[in-house]
Amino acid sequence: MIAVAEEQVDMSSITIATSRFGDIEVEPDKIITMTTPFPGFPEDKQFIIRSHSKNSPFMWFQSIDNPELAFVMIQATTIIPSYKPVIPPNIKEELHIEETHHETLLVLTIPQGKPQDMTANLLGPIVINPERKLSCQLLLDPNKFDPCWPVFAKDE
Amino acid sequence: MLILTRKVGEAITIADDITIKVLEVKGGQVKIGVDAPQHISIHRNEVFEKIMEENKRAAQETPQDLDALTDVFNTQS
Repeated sequence: MIAVAEEQVDMSSITIATSRFGDIEVEPDKIITMTTPFPGFPEDKQFIIRSHSKNSPFMWFQSIDNPELAFVMIQATTIIPSYKPVIPPNIKEELHIEETHHETLLVLTIPQGKPQDMTANLLGPIVINPERKLSCQLLLDPNKFDPCWPVFAKDE
Repeated sequence: MLILTRKVGEAITIADDITIKVLEVKGGQVKIGVDAPQHISIHRNEVFEKIMEENKRAAQETPQDLDALTDVFNTQS
């Protein structure tokens, strides 16, 4: 008789009761883990990215650990094509992004009722390794990068 | 807090592999050299605080009303 191990890895989705989206189904293999604590939110280590809507450039970075915490993000190149911060070697190692490609997202601050005044945090971009589902926030040079960069420049 | 007094050229060691050395003291500024393994992140404290502050602002101000986002690019372009 051969004993068959009936051990099954549970890959079924989990449900998170978020404050913004209600109950959402999250597939475990879509969960992104922060490799270093998120400044200001050290308890939040796991996130999921949800696109805001079809064709929208906005994404939600929804915390799994705190259903009430979510950030709005955007691909850095969508608003600043030239934005290419240097990733320090220790972070590259941490995220395993030597060979694989990575994504750079920017956290947006959107004042209530005034979305035109939204700013992007260029000082602390979120770098993601999409294959390994690892992420961290870079801390760049405040002399070069603005934490409150106006997305819609008032140049008219 | 542990308080140590050091002169220029003197250092302190943390654990086995982190050394902090006073390189220069001039006009109210201290130049510090840090030797640490590559995986240790070293930042000016105010950068961390600035980013933390902006993260908190982003989390708080984010509208519950998701529709505010939808048209923002359309109306601008």
